[in-house]
Amino acid sequence: MTTVERRFPEQRPDALFVPEMATIKGAANLTAQDRLFDIELPGGKNLGHKPGQFVEVSMYGFGEAPISVSSSPAQDGSFELCVRKLGGLTGKLHTLGEGDAVGIRGPFGNGFPMEDFEGTDCLIVAGGIGMAPLRSVVNTILADRDKYGRMMLLYGNRNPDDILFKDELKAWAEDDRNQILVTIDRPAEGWAGNVGVVTTLFEQIALDPSRRVVAAVVGPPVMYRFVYAELTMKHIPDDHIYFSLERRMKCGVGKCGHCQIEGKYVCIDGPVFTGAELGQFRESI
Amino acid sequence: MSQPAAYVITRPRLAEWVGKLIGRAQVIAPRRAQGGDVAYDIVETPDQVAWDYSTSINPLKRFLFPQGDELLRWQRAGDDGLQLEPTYDETDRIFLAVRSCDLSGVLFLDRVFSREPEDVYYMTRRQHSTLISLTCSEPVEDCFCVCADAGPFLETGFDLQLTALSDDYLVEVGTEKGQELINQAEGLFAPAPDELIQARRDLEKEVEARFAEHKSYFAAALRKVTFDRVPDELWEEMADRCLECGGCSFVCPTCTCFLTADWQSEGEGHRDRLWDSCLYSCYTLEASGHNPRAQRRDRVKARFFHKLSYQFAKELETHGCVGCGRCIATCLGSNDMPTVTARIRRGAI
Repeated sequence: MTTVERRFPEQRPDALFVPEMATIKGAANLTAQDRLFDIELPGGKNLGHKPGQFVEVSMYGFGEAPISVSSSPAQDGSFELCVRKLGGLTGKLHTLGEGDAVGIRGPFGNGFPMEDFEGTDCLIVAGGIGMAPLRSVVNTILADRDKYGRMMLLYGNRNPDDILFKDELKAWAEDDRNQILVTIDRPAEGWAGNVGVVTTLFEQIALDPSRRVVAAVVGPPVMYRFVYAELTMKHIPDDHIYFSLERRMKCGVGKCGHCQIEGKYVCIDGPVFTGAELGQFRESI
Repeated sequence: MSQPAAYVITRPRLAEWVGKLIGRAQVIAPRRAQGGDVAYDIVETPDQVAWDYSTSINPLKRFLFPQGDELLRWQRAGDDGLQLEPTYDETDRIFLAVRSCDLSGVLFLDRVFSREPEDVYYMTRRQHSTLISLTCSEPVEDCFCVCADAGPFLETGFDLQLTALSDDYLVEVGTEKGQELINQAEGLFAPAPDELIQARRDLEKEVEARFAEHKSYFAAALRKVTFDRVPDELWEEMADRCLECGGCSFVCPTCTCFLTADWQSEGEGHRDRLWDSCLYSCYTLEASGHNPRAQRRDRVKARFFHKLSYQFAKELETHGCVGCGRCIATCLGSNDMPTVTARIRRGAI
């Protein structure tokens, strides 16, 4: 089992809860409820994140929310956040566009250990907005394609209108080392693709038994149990499966207590946990 | 020349000393409030210190980690956006005549907030604080510091520790900061004679015997909570008694959960952190509507897991209870620490 390593951003010591003023370089709606922001830190410096890490986004007067980084660390000079409109803060965030300012703290959390994915076949399972952090994983793989084996992406959504990064999905599928499978939960007009929850895609992938496979899973909590069962049936060991957990977080630095799970803090010990670690928590999903 | 580790001060001189302290820093001490309750509060004159008090209704938490604590403020600067400024409290504070359990509570907060990354807001207040404790000689109905290893006498953690002996107070020095206070109070303190130090030792033994009746069974509870051997029905039963008032969290010297909230008016605003309680139903509610602890049973369990499990104790070097007994006085459903540990130990209602 991989040991948990707590990572903290290198910041001024007095900057614990003081965000940096960042600027939105560009923003575009991906769906009716999801908006992608391209954000630049002061001086164009890089965020320095790992795929799977998150930042605390500040809207002064509205509060702070943890949002996972959607761009690859390879992206230079800015980073991207894909934000779903759900409450007061994200609603306000959706009204912002190019040139507007937001506060950023982070990056926080452990992120996916990408070195563990190198030289292996990568199985990526995304549900809904879970695609946002996994896009960072995908683009990290694609940025240095030869370092990794096959990449299989299984992506489930409620309906076709919810699918994020449609153009990118097409572009990713052009390389035959990548297998991109998308499904929607229920039949919809104009949809000719797969229908059924994300686990129905597992029968379409063939794993090479001679190769090591590492899985990354992000999606709604209800999905994890079923995906975990499928991965186990494919003989992927617990410590090769990485889940990212969602929790209400206020501070991001292991102080406020909200994200505790039985001795762990999702914000600093996670949000990425192995299947083996999750098996030890009763409350995890 | 090495300095003695213990001094003696007479009662009349004690008042004089407190007067000097009040001139130098904000002094927080037990103070009698309306209705006869004693609470730690700011004192302006030496006679306001309730030396004969048994226990304070509040711990020291609110002075070091206030219920509403401003983290930063901002001003809108034209079209160029905002000017941000963190707000630190650098008030010099002397906490005087603090009970051992409450001082132990501060030491617990120290461990929480000094853990990497250091909480600069708390640590700033703490660096400007001096802790002068007062040992206990009479147990109070609700308290159980002996079981929690948090009193009635302390070995370390204090800057100065006072013990009331017949005519005088014995003063033990714990830190250089404490020694400094003694040095500054010219002529008020005298090195303690050996018989007085012996008298304090004798008193400690006598007091510990007197405190021994009050018990909270931590060891057994810790074992069962750690290995998840507490039946769900027991958590369920405790949850039925919980009113979700959050009172236990707010009076607890070791509870540190907080949320943050923004306040904004024309052109300016501030972000505060506010005490939160893990028993509130929205504590873990996510934006998606998913709530990992939607059931009250799970929240009660999470609270006692945090206080009692080895998983947390190994990180903070102790379990999360100092035996002050405030949860006994506060919880209307008797979900207080001694009752809960007793139930967990028995494994039944």
